[in-house]
Amino acid sequence: MAGGGADARLRPAVPARSRTFQRHRLTAAWALTLPLLLLWGLFLVLPIVEAGYYSLTHWDGMEASWAGLGNYERLFGSSDFAQVLLNNFSLLLSVPLAVAIPFGIALVIAMEPPGWRWARALIFLPATLSWVVSGMAWLRIFAGDGILNSVLRAVGLGALQLDLLGSMRTALLPIALAFIWSQVGPNTLILVIGLGNIEPNVIEAAMIDGAGIGTTVRQIILPLMSRVLVFVAIITLISAFTALFSLIFVMSGGGPGFATTTMEFYIYRLAFSQGDFGMGAAVGMVLLAAIAAISLPLVLLYRRPGAT
Amino acid sequence: MSMDACNVQERPARRMGWTSRLAGATLALAATTVWSGVPSALAGNLTIWHNYGTEVNATALGNVVAAFEKGHPDIKVDLVSQPADNYFALLTAAAISHKAPDIAVMWTGLFALKYAHLMADLKQMLPASELGEMKGVNWASQDFDPSKALYVLPLEDQFYIGFYNKALLKKAGLDGPPRDWAELMAACTKLKAAGIVPMLYGSDSQALSSEFYPFYDLSYLMTIFTVDQWSGLADGKIPWTSPQIAEQLQKWADIHGKGCTNPDVLTATDILTKFNNGAAAMIVDGNWNLQQLYDKLGPDLGVFPLPFTDKPISGIVQMPGDGLSVLKSSKNKEDAVAFLTFLMSGDGQKILSQSGLIPARKGYAATNPLYAGLLALDGHGFTKYPMLDNVVQGSVVDTGSSVLPAAFAGQMSVADALKKMQATWDNLPSDQKQ
Repeated sequence: MAGGGADARLRPAVPARSRTFQRHRLTAAWALTLPLLLLWGLFLVLPIVEAGYYSLTHWDGMEASWAGLGNYERLFGSSDFAQVLLNNFSLLLSVPLAVAIPFGIALVIAMEPPGWRWARALIFLPATLSWVVSGMAWLRIFAGDGILNSVLRAVGLGALQLDLLGSMRTALLPIALAFIWSQVGPNTLILVIGLGNIEPNVIEAAMIDGAGIGTTVRQIILPLMSRVLVFVAIITLISAFTALFSLIFVMSGGGPGFATTTMEFYIYRLAFSQGDFGMGAAVGMVLLAAIAAISLPLVLLYRRPGAT
Repeated sequence: MSMDACNVQERPARRMGWTSRLAGATLALAATTVWSGVPSALAGNLTIWHNYGTEVNATALGNVVAAFEKGHPDIKVDLVSQPADNYFALLTAAAISHKAPDIAVMWTGLFALKYAHLMADLKQMLPASELGEMKGVNWASQDFDPSKALYVLPLEDQFYIGFYNKALLKKAGLDGPPRDWAELMAACTKLKAAGIVPMLYGSDSQALSSEFYPFYDLSYLMTIFTVDQWSGLADGKIPWTSPQIAEQLQKWADIHGKGCTNPDVLTATDILTKFNNGAAAMIVDGNWNLQQLYDKLGPDLGVFPLPFTDKPISGIVQMPGDGLSVLKSSKNKEDAVAFLTFLMSGDGQKILSQSGLIPARKGYAATNPLYAGLLALDGHGFTKYPMLDNVVQGSVVDTGSSVLPAAFAGQMSVADALKKMQATWDNLPSDQKQ
């Protein structure tokens, strides 16, 4: 063909050895990537496809029969699920705090005040605890006869005693506080590393030009840290959706009523407590869609051209 | 052939070898993964799962295992304690992933039927003459019909029961435990006047989470119906939203509403220890904790049927509520049969009795003196009721476990809680509405 011929004429001649090298490089790339793709397909894509299929069935964990969209119709017609969704979105309100507090701590650590190395280790320490242990500790704090109320009684403020976990209106609050606390360690660590990558002379130049701490943070550090902050926000958001099971299990059992039941906890209850794995899979698909929808703007922000 | 040409020929061959090694490593990894999925039980080894925690049942089962191993040195039993909170979830997950034990503790009633697809028919494995001596076989059989498949070998007779502290009742001027709603409220008034918390609610020492289990109470609340009428709760003839049930539950919620309990019923933990330490006059639990309480309180400990009726209570919740099942997937069924046969034998039943249980085999009595009074109720005009959570659908029990504590604590109206239970029943597949 004429056009092809013209292109071929314009293309610089590539030596045969170079073409062979390119081909071998491509083969090597596939050979190196294939195991990862296999594992990714086997452990990520396949389970999602399977879950999608089972969400369209009545499945007791052993045998499945086709249900079409029946599970989804039941789910979206359920007032319990509406409460569960509301709980999930309420917990999202804790994400900004779970990013902002570690950012503040990371800034202080980055200034290297006396004892900052110890502080860094201590702040990360809670991240090494299991969620169950953390949950037990927070339960002991917030229970009706827990530490918080004991302290209030001891200082003569007994009238202010609260059974936060025992009230449907407030039970989510201790869970959110425990979640924020659990995120402080790992998020601070990531942010400290991010701050360490900022050239010190950039900060020094700003200071020499008369910028105060507030201006430096706002005008220099925040823009330079934007990608790290978005990354931290994404992983915190995903944790808020998918990592709270143990905390909820230990602290409230999802109650009172459904006041602290989130989608992941609801999946457990539907699938394993009630044996309705089909419904559990349907909630799983909704959870996947919710995380994808909420993470998407952040991911786009993370990948936008010019992001630092 | 030039040197370069040689290299060009050689490189792909070398690379192919490297790629093969990589593929081999991947296959080896996959094979390791697959191998780890093979059932852990080996020939001559039995794995038994239980959810007894530190209850007396755990001790009893451990004693039976020890005696069995002594008599069968060729069989090693691995007795595994699984967390009570999500025992059935773990068992289901293990069965799905082909890692189920050979024998598992199972609850009787609808629980047994719910998991029937995982369990072997014991009637095909155990001698009929021996099975005929066991109590409660009907609650462990298909359709509760002892002529059909048997899924669970009952271990012990169990009670849902109230415990009271005789000394505290006496201190408040009470001669004995209440027998109906009116007496309960009168006792509450007297106990509060004496500075004593009348009833203590919360989770016991076995639970990781904090909410109390409401089906001990609900079993007694439903004694307003006859045992035969209870089938109406499962098949929908008696809706959960019926006025009779709502009225009963409202009276129950009033126990908390009128200050007759600890205020933190939803978050109090380890109530057995607190009761042992005199924190309240009465608690609701099961006889499996009787020995633990008796060891601490001795003769000050009393047991009583929960007085949740207008007339003096005449029902007692008693059934062989748990036992042992052989999983269909077991590769060691012969050894499993040997173990269950030993459990049913006189020697096995004596061990259960001496360990503090009421053996499920006829003719074997419990050793703790408090049981005598409980078992005597049967002959004093009391009607035996099964445990409600064993005879209504598991999904309804699960919903009830969430919403009933909230209703009791005044966090949700009784009507709303019952609506949620009814909605769960409504959503059951038609084959489960029986």
